[in-house]
Amino acid sequence: MRWFRFALLILAVTILQKGFLSRWSSKPDLLNIFLVFFAIHYNTSEAIISSFTIGFAADLIGSPMPMGPQMISFGLFGTLLAYLHRVIAIKRMPYEALAIFVSSVLTGGLTHLLVYIAGEPVVANIYAVVFITSLYSSIVGPFLFLPAAWWMRIKTDRFGRRH
Amino acid sequence: MLFIWFMLTGFIFLFAPQNLTSKFQLAFVHVFRWPLSVGGDLALTAQIQQPLTGAASRSETHYRNYIANLEETLAREREKFKKLYGLYNTYVWEGADFVLADVITATVEGSRNELTIDCRKTNGLAKGQFVLGDESIIGTISDVFPQISKAKIELVTDPTSRMPVEVAGLKNIMKGSGNNSAKIEMVKNEIEVGENVFALKKPGYLDAPMIVGKVTECNRNQKNPSLWDVTVVPACNIEQLEDVAVIIMNPQK
Repeated sequence: MRWFRFALLILAVTILQKGFLSRWSSKPDLLNIFLVFFAIHYNTSEAIISSFTIGFAADLIGSPMPMGPQMISFGLFGTLLAYLHRVIAIKRMPYEALAIFVSSVLTGGLTHLLVYIAGEPVVANIYAVVFITSLYSSIVGPFLFLPAAWWMRIKTDRFGRRH
Repeated sequence: MLFIWFMLTGFIFLFAPQNLTSKFQLAFVHVFRWPLSVGGDLALTAQIQQPLTGAASRSETHYRNYIANLEETLAREREKFKKLYGLYNTYVWEGADFVLADVITATVEGSRNELTIDCRKTNGLAKGQFVLGDESIIGTISDVFPQISKAKIELVTDPTSRMPVEVAGLKNIMKGSGNNSAKIEMVKNEIEVGENVFALKKPGYLDAPMIVGKVTECNRNQKNPSLWDVTVVPACNIEQLEDVAVIIMNPQK
C-alpha cells in the first residue's frame, strides 16, 4: 500500500463529499465506494487500517452526528468484506456495484443504529435515505475504481479476465 | 488485534462527550475551509445555472418573506397600538444587532441538518440566538467557537430542533423532522397549504414575529383523528444560502 497516496486520495474525497456534494439532495457516498475499493484490492491488515481510517474521515465530516459510529461501521464491514474477498473474488463491475450497495446499506444501517444507541435522534425516513445513497453509490462506484487504481498504482486484471 | 484496537477507539469516540469530539469535526472544517467553501460554491453554481428564473425566484422568495414579516409585524404592531395607544412607539428591531456570516458547509438533506458559518466577529454570539437567511428564521446557534471565528447553526429542520411557532393564530411547537422539513403535531384546526408559519417571540432572543416556513401538508393525526399534523418547509432555500445573519438582541455596547 502506498500510504501517502492513500492519505491524499482520502483527504480529497472527504473534502469533495463535505464541500461539493453536501449541497446536493441525493448523492453517492464516495467514502463508502473507496472503502470497498481498498477492501478488495489490498491484503487483510491493510484493508482493516484503511477501513477504519475512511470511517474516521466519514466521522470528521459527519457533523452534527457524533464521532465514532461511522468509524465502527466502516471498520467492521470493511474488514468483513476483506475476509469475504479472500473467498469470493470481486473483480467485475456488477459484483463491485453489488458489493458497494450491500456495504453502503449495512454501514448506513449500523451507523444510524449506533447513533440511536448513543442517544441521538434518528429521522423516520432514514431507510429511504440509506437506500437512495446506496443506489447512487453502487451506480457511480465501479467507474471510480479505475482512476483510483491508477492513482494507487494497482494493476487490475478486470479486463484480462474477459479473454 | 489491530481490529480490536480500532474498534475500541471507535467506541471511545462514540461515548466521549460530544462537545469534545465535535472539536475534531470543527477543526477539519476550519483547516480545509477554503476548498470546502469553493466546493460548496461550485455546487451552488451548478444548481442555479440552468434557469435564470432560479436566481429570480430566490430574490422573489427573499422579498416575499420580507413582505410577510412586515405584514405580520404590522398586524402585531396594530394590535399593540390598540392596547397601548400612546405608550408603545418603538420599531421592533431598534437596538438589535446583526452579525453577518458566510456559510462554509451546509448539511441540509439526510438525517441531520446543520450549517457551519464563518463569522466576521463573534462578539456577542451565544447559543440559542436566532439566525436569519433571506429574511426568514432558519435556525438557532448551537455552538460558538470564538477562537477560530466559527459557529454552528442547528437548522429548524434538524430532528433535535424544537421551536415555538404560530400558524393561523394557533401556537404550537414545531419539531424538525430532517430532510429539509419540520412538523407541527396535534394542531386543533386544519391549516391551509401555503399558510405562513411564524417563530414566536422569545425574550432576549427574538422581539418580533419572523417567518420560519410555509405549510406544505396538513393530514389528520393517526392516533387522534380530531387533530391535525402539519408539515412545514423552510421559507427560503437553505441549500442555496451563501450568507446568514445572527440576531443579537440588546447587544452590549
